Amino acid sequence: MNSLTAFARPVLRWGGDPSGGAPYVFADPSDPQTYTGFDYEFAEALADKMGMQAQFVPTDWESIVSSLKRKEFNVIINGFEPTGDRAREMLFSKPYYLFRLQLTVRKSDGTITSLEDCKKYGKSVGTLVNCAASRLLEEGKYRVKGYQDPVGAYEDLELGRVDAVLMDVAGEMFYARSNPKLKPAGKPFQTGAYVVGIRKADASLKADIDKAIDELINDGTIEKIFRKWNLWDDEQVKLRTATPPAIEITTTKLNWSEGLIKLFKAAMITVLLAFGAMFIAVILGIPLAVGQSNGGPLIRALCTTYIEFFRGTPVLVQLLFLYFGLPVIGITLPGWLTAIVGLGLNYAAYESQIYRTAFQAIPERQWQVAYSLGMRPILAFRRIIFPQAFRIALPPMTNDFVALFKDTSTAFAIAVWELATAYRELANATQSYLGIGIVVCCYYLAMSLPLAHYAHRLERKLQRKSTGILSSGAEK
Amino acid sequence: MITIKGLSKAVQSTTLIENINLDLEPGKILGIIGPSGNGKTTLLLCLAGLLPFEKGRITIGDRSIAAEESNTDKESLWAFRKKSGIVFQHLHLFPHLTVLGNIIEAPVHVNKIPKADAEREARRLLKKLEIEQHMNKFPEELSGGEQQRVAILRAIAMNPEVLLLDEPTSALDPIRSGDVRNLIREFANSGHTVVIVSHSVRFLRGMADYLAFMGKSELIEMDTADTLMANPKDPRTREFLRFSEVN
Ligand SMILES: Nc1ncnc2c1ncn2[C@@H]1O[C@H](COP(=O)(O)OP(=O)(O)OP(=O)(O)O)[C@@H](O)[C@H]1O
Ligand SMILES: [Mg+2]
Repeated sequence: MNSLTAFARPVLRWGGDPSGGAPYVFADPSDPQTYTGFDYEFAEALADKMGMQAQFVPTDWESIVSSLKRKEFNVIINGFEPTGDRAREMLFSKPYYLFRLQLTVRKSDGTITSLEDCKKYGKSVGTLVNCAASRLLEEGKYRVKGYQDPVGAYEDLELGRVDAVLMDVAGEMFYARSNPKLKPAGKPFQTGAYVVGIRKADASLKADIDKAIDELINDGTIEKIFRKWNLWDDEQVKLRTATPPAIEITTTKLNWSEGLIKLFKAAMITVLLAFGAMFIAVILGIPLAVGQSNGGPLIRALCTTYIEFFRGTPVLVQLLFLYFGLPVIGITLPGWLTAIVGLGLNYAAYESQIYRTAFQAIPERQWQVAYSLGMRPILAFRRIIFPQAFRIALPPMTNDFVALFKDTSTAFAIAVWELATAYRELANATQSYLGIGIVVCCYYLAMSLPLAHYAHRLERKLQRKSTGILSSGAEK
Repeated sequence: MITIKGLSKAVQSTTLIENINLDLEPGKILGIIGPSGNGKTTLLLCLAGLLPFEKGRITIGDRSIAAEESNTDKESLWAFRKKSGIVFQHLHLFPHLTVLGNIIEAPVHVNKIPKADAEREARRLLKKLEIEQHMNKFPEELSGGEQQRVAILRAIAMNPEVLLLDEPTSALDPIRSGDVRNLIREFANSGHTVVIVSHSVRFLRGMADYLAFMGKSELIEMDTADTLMANPKDPRTREFLRFSEVN
């Protein structure tokens, strides 16, 4: 278009999902190469007011927030609603449109006159996934059917696959109002706001955008745009007063299959943390045990200090110390590595004590018998002492491993995306603390129960032999 | 052949054994008797090369250890240890190995005898003491007497020049102890030297060629079994023998 101004002005890249995106932003039917929609026009007006050039970046609705974070664009303009979970990771502009929800039913329908009727008569309600309406229905325990786009929802309503559709008035106006087979049920209700989504770090951008929105409201540009799309109503006068968007209490709907996959990935990280840390602990425990038992005074003191330090302070504090303290002296490890190292260092202290106890449980006479049979120390250790000590040490080591599995949850403190963190984030976003909590516990159990079971069996199997050690070791 | 010259062992200021001198030719069985706590086990441990001592020298065949050497020259200490096999008072079988595993462990891993051969030999020995049916059990699953026999076989399986036994009959019934006596006798007849510490004069009688009486920390007297039994010179020996006849 205006290539001269495009060159001269800074670019405001805005993200939106154009698929099924009418009337927000969608490919212009008359010219599929270009986009249109009220969000498109709003974005143009906004950028213009800011002295910038708008540039639309088509994106995917589901991942729109993470795309913003990845800086694929500067802002989200896509009928975007401020929600509590989003508020934690981003900034919102002031509202540029106040939407309401409208219930639609088939024209032939005589029973449903309100949302309450749907519940009363057990009717199913269709809506878009991951929007204010879906959250409202989810919370109200309605029979919800989620759709990716409004067309599908209203089509199913026509066909009787769903009994009602709840949608933003914007969508309802565009897709349903003119459909002769459908009718609105009741009045629009529940006000929500469309805002511009901004990265947390871009506070000054937010200020600029807010200022521009104010001007667009005051000079009537916004009214002009929404009138053109037949979306202007009395509700919008509140735009002048409703400065900061009220963060609504409703929450995102949990997509269970996606949630389970996310949790599974987190569980894999937990497994990685547990195995990595145990590996370090098992190896590092050896020199600690040897040093504490057989080292000179200095080595002994160092090992003892190490062991008492790591056993005597909370692992959570140790992790925080490693995560935030080490960078001070120039060592910056990623969170997951910090967790592995930290838990490994911590558990090494415990493993060393298991080793010591195990070897102390082997009577001196076992060495002597081995020597009397002509074995040299290394052979005696390998064939006679170690196997016995190993049998003693294995059950408590396995127990420690189970404990370590659970202790990986402390990694949430240093932002490692393991199971506990995943639980916190998913549950926060969805308020489904119970359901996700149960799933998370199941994941933990699925990992730790077989281990615990194995430890128990091992213990019983080796009990016979370890009592043998005691009975024939009574002499010393 | 065993030669002990001027052997003394103390722990801190406590004397455990004092100036022990002893000579024993191959193929002979020496029984050591004496009251509890007099240093019999200590003497055996020194003989086995498992306990460093302060004074004296012990020679077994072509190998010997001396007070100074025992702490320093590891190679000769290890070579010396191979000369003897010891059965401990409390046995100390390897709890993580089966009966068969206990017996073949050293032949296979120290002498590098093929496992099959070692097992065949172990079976032969087990059969002799009638415990081959327990071959695959763990020590814990055996009676005290069975454990004792396994411990003896574990030592014999290495075919040591000298066999040292500390109270080998404490858990054996008369018939079993007969089997064990025969095995030990047979072992001595094939040219090995055997030293047995036992409270049971009855067990030693008719088997031991020599008897030695161990007083507090020292060897009071040593003679052929018949002589010492019939005609003990030292009053302490006499008194000990009189009591053991009664019991
Ligand atoms: N490591 C040690 N430190 C100190 N004293 C010891 C040690 N080992 C043994 N003794 C003491 O040395 C003495 C001799 O012990 P030893 O075991 O040789 O006696 P023993 O003749 O075999 O007795 P028993 O017939 O009861 O087996 C005992 O008084 C014992 O308490
Ligand atoms: Mg003893």
